[in-house]
Amino acid sequence: MRKRVALLLVVLLLVTSSSIAFAAPERHETLVVGGGPWNPATNWNPLYPQRTSATIGLVYETLFSYNPETNVYKPWLAKSGEWVSDTVYEVELRSEARWSDGEPLTAADVVFTYELARDNELPYTPIWRQLSEVKELSPTKVQFVFSDPSYQEWQVELYSRPIIPKHIWKDIPGDQLLVVANENPVGSGPYKAGEGASDRIVWDRDDNWWANEVFGQPQPKRVVEMIIPENNVALGMLMQRTLDLSNYFIPGIPAIKNSFGLNTWFDDAPYMLQANTAVLYLNNQRPPMDDKVFRRALAHAVNPEVIVERVFEFMVPASDPTGLFGGWMAYHDPDVAREYGFSYNPEYAAQLLDEAGYVDQDGDGWRDLPDGTPMSFEIIVPAGWTDWMESIRIISDHFRAIGVNANPAFPDQSVYENRMFTGNFDMLINNYGATVSGSPFTYWNWIANHNIHREQVTEGNFGRYDNPELFDLILEFNKVLPMTEESLAIASEIQRILLEDMPAIPFWQNGMWATSQSEWWTNWPSEHNPDGYPSTWGGYWQMGGVDMLINLRSTK
Amino acid sequence: MGRYLSKKIAIYLVTFVFAVTLNWVVPRLVPGDPITSLLARFSGLEGGKEILQSYFVQTFGLDKPLWSQYLGFWRSLFMGELGISITRFPSPVIDIIKNAIIYDFIILLPSIILSWIIGNKLGALSGVNKTADNFLMPVFYFLTSSPYFWFALVVSYLLGIVLDIFPISHAYSAALTPGWNWIFIADFIMHWFLPFITMFLVQLGGWAIGMRNMIIYETNTNYSRYMESLGASRRLIRNYGYRNGILPQVTGLAISLGTIISGGVLTQVVFAYPGLGYTMVQAIRQSDYFLIQGCFLFLILMVLAANFIVDIVYMIIDPRVRHSYSEEV
Amino acid sequence: MAKGSFWKRHENLYFAVTNKKVLFGACLFTAILLLSIIGPYLTPYEHDEFAGPGYLPPSKEHWFGTTLQGRDVYTGVVYGLRSTLLVGFLAGTIASAIGLVVGFISGYNSGRAADEGLMMVTNVFMVIPSLALLILLSAYLPYRGIVTQSLIVSATAWPWTARAVRSQTMSLRSQEFVNLSRISGLSTFRILKEDIAANMFSYVFMVYILQFNGTILASVGLEFLGLGPTRGISLGLILQNAVNWNALHLGMWWWIIIPGLLLTLLIVSLYFINTGLDEVFNPRLREL
Repeated sequence: MRKRVALLLVVLLLVTSSSIAFAAPERHETLVVGGGPWNPATNWNPLYPQRTSATIGLVYETLFSYNPETNVYKPWLAKSGEWVSDTVYEVELRSEARWSDGEPLTAADVVFTYELARDNELPYTPIWRQLSEVKELSPTKVQFVFSDPSYQEWQVELYSRPIIPKHIWKDIPGDQLLVVANENPVGSGPYKAGEGASDRIVWDRDDNWWANEVFGQPQPKRVVEMIIPENNVALGMLMQRTLDLSNYFIPGIPAIKNSFGLNTWFDDAPYMLQANTAVLYLNNQRPPMDDKVFRRALAHAVNPEVIVERVFEFMVPASDPTGLFGGWMAYHDPDVAREYGFSYNPEYAAQLLDEAGYVDQDGDGWRDLPDGTPMSFEIIVPAGWTDWMESIRIISDHFRAIGVNANPAFPDQSVYENRMFTGNFDMLINNYGATVSGSPFTYWNWIANHNIHREQVTEGNFGRYDNPELFDLILEFNKVLPMTEESLAIASEIQRILLEDMPAIPFWQNGMWATSQSEWWTNWPSEHNPDGYPSTWGGYWQMGGVDMLINLRSTK
Repeated sequence: MGRYLSKKIAIYLVTFVFAVTLNWVVPRLVPGDPITSLLARFSGLEGGKEILQSYFVQTFGLDKPLWSQYLGFWRSLFMGELGISITRFPSPVIDIIKNAIIYDFIILLPSIILSWIIGNKLGALSGVNKTADNFLMPVFYFLTSSPYFWFALVVSYLLGIVLDIFPISHAYSAALTPGWNWIFIADFIMHWFLPFITMFLVQLGGWAIGMRNMIIYETNTNYSRYMESLGASRRLIRNYGYRNGILPQVTGLAISLGTIISGGVLTQVVFAYPGLGYTMVQAIRQSDYFLIQGCFLFLILMVLAANFIVDIVYMIIDPRVRHSYSEEV
Repeated sequence: MAKGSFWKRHENLYFAVTNKKVLFGACLFTAILLLSIIGPYLTPYEHDEFAGPGYLPPSKEHWFGTTLQGRDVYTGVVYGLRSTLLVGFLAGTIASAIGLVVGFISGYNSGRAADEGLMMVTNVFMVIPSLALLILLSAYLPYRGIVTQSLIVSATAWPWTARAVRSQTMSLRSQEFVNLSRISGLSTFRILKEDIAANMFSYVFMVYILQFNGTILASVGLEFLGLGPTRGISLGLILQNAVNWNALHLGMWWWIIIPGLLLTLLIVSLYFINTGLDEVFNPRLREL
């Protein structure tokens, strides 16, 4: 009996291990990536925000693409676009553009895409607060006429909005627009939805993509996004060469990078590009965190280099005191940062607290409020977010070192978010809205969002820091033409107020985690080959992800 | 016999009602609502979130009163509707489960049946053979004491990464499309092997220990001595012992099904094997209530069904139950 | 001579201390217990401080090496062992207690409504897959300490004990001496306490050992999924951390093998005691 089982197993092994070699030819044309989606593909509706993420970029395209590393807007469906007056933005479309069913992509489609949001309640309907009309001047020319232009937001809009085909969507009733799953999507992009499974999403190349001659043809015939629940599995797959590109945070990459032949953007520290800023929100509604001196003291108390070293193994740098990075640095004011910025200086932090009266009055070793009330704080991050968990342990230690009694706690994510939105916390780390974009407005509008006088605050400013003057400045920044002298001056003022008041403290950068191996594909984007962006996260395909697919080379 | 079965079925019905109710209640006790959490992860134009939020609440019926939600839950349950997944919108939960459950079957069924059979045989061997026992018993104990996920990790590291024989994750290779060809089937088996062997080995230890103790116990009973004094061969006595030992082992199987299925959940997570357990853990991490509920329900249904099968098997092999419903243990 | 009569009166104890399996298991268990008691005093580090550089293999300074961040694995393990034993102790006790009470009452009243009702509840809990229930419960409790975890784990661990105790009680109940007590007018409680419980002491002890093991394994599984205590340290949490920080793939075997092995040894030691005791209390098993 056992012999038979053993024999069966051996035969099975021989058969299977020999057959794996036959599977290899297809492997050379398949790019296997992981880190973007957490769920299999069930929805390819470009209007629905929870759609399978690569739908935008691979199937539907945007007018421009934006490379956050080079801060360059690359005309994509558009050939060019510019402000022809203060309230009119004109886009010239590429005449080659085609939908995957062969129909030409014209100005009528662009007009349709926007008018759809005017006539129905869609997630991007609020754009019509500033738009008054979208006009088709010719089949390749569109004019956006604004009543109250928000220039900064418009920059982000240009590479965020997928253009959808009028001849398909015009027949869908308004109440179905968000509901349809849109299987077999007709888009203009280089890939079509393939046959996935519950643990993967498959994209098959459209060999008739209109831009094959314009941008070049993407090399992988098939892109497979594997759904990998644990980062140690992603690392194992990289080691086994079954995964080509991982966009997961994988601890230990610097230690084994060379011995296992793994690629990162930079050869040495900091290894990874930066994707967003991790910010410590302080609940401004709870004393003493309503005191800016106290907040500034906390900013000086933490040494983010310890986090960078111990948690991230130098894969990311500490934040600039302004929290700005990447393309946003165009608005960075070094003088303001120098004068009002903070750096690790526990003596100074203690001095600030002493002077403001935060001293230990009851002799328990912890500082108390000036009126003698003891203070203690809880810093929260979601349970299971291992890098953040380690980070707030370090931050608590550093706070405790200057006598501020702070303790880390790890509620489950849903609880964490509920407490964040309802303002029921002392301190927490978050980054939801600090993600790299074409305008620092997105960051400021998140860190100091004006919409805080309500029960649930979900769009940023979770500490409910109230400063109408700053809110007005941020809105004004949005309404001024980008990169003008006026715009830069407002930006400096915003940075100064944020640094002086310190409503939330930027400590370190989260990485654009990207680790690849070259068994099947080479020519990965890197510091030596900066064309393209090594990300498969949702929203990044049109930010250089497709360029990466075009530049890859098969090893065969 | 009829009484035995009807009583069992009553127990299963009560369990089912209890599970369904629990399933419905617990997610609603959570602070915070899933929709807000879901929406917070989008950045975009101001105001867009409110539009989506009201849309979601209506779509998922979260604005109805609780009792109506509860009744609706039962109503749709009988119609085979388990709601729509929030994170995999607009896939019905039932479809997701249908796709996942096959992976549970192909791991659990062979591993339970084979480990039970082989475990019992090895345990019997260990029970009568002192030399084998000295070597086998520590191994059995080691296997049965290993947490599933820990064992899975070690197996995945040794056979997957160090020796590089088996793929360590997912159901089949990324470059393949499912189909009835040898390449795919072989690839599928390779991916199936590690989760299977983990489940198989950890379970094996428990069955072997049980049978070993049972055999030793039986071979030392008075009737065995009596048979021996009558000149019966050791082999015959051992066979009697084995047959008597099988019954408690069948009961044992029924008792440990819950634990085994739990082990399956952990194993699937380690190997990213897309069965129900894996789906459920994913759903929990993303607060997808309807999907969590569906997975939980089906895990319980699986245990109920398996218990029922074990009951019937027990009835067939135990003559006493066939005649009267006496005690279960 | 006095000594001889002592062993005569406590025959089972004699067989217990001379049984190789019991001895082996007890030694191993004591060693692990001692490690958890004395261990923390032997380390100069705190379990949550950075004790040195990361990635260090076992050495004189760091007996079990260091983690990726540079925490001392030995320190973590000895502190974690305490919590893990505590969980086993608490959850094992609760589960055994529930199982015993339900089993006694049910077995003593077998056939009556109380029995039917209790057995129904027992069977319901037995069928629900423990981990799935635990996941469901844990996912919705914002903060979980060791006590919460013990309660959750024991909530699904007791049914088999109840069933086993019930049948044991039933077989004891029908025996002569219990009937004698009943005829002589003793209260039900005293019968349960004096006759039945006393005669089942050995059995209860073995049940407790199995519950101890089962609840530890269940809580380790929860911890691995990130549903364990949200603060503190335990062997399961160390393992979870080691997995999350890729200990195995990065070659830091000491971070994952040592706590895992210790856990396995702890459970094995108790199994050995259990099997040995089985032989002690069932004389027929002894003779092999």
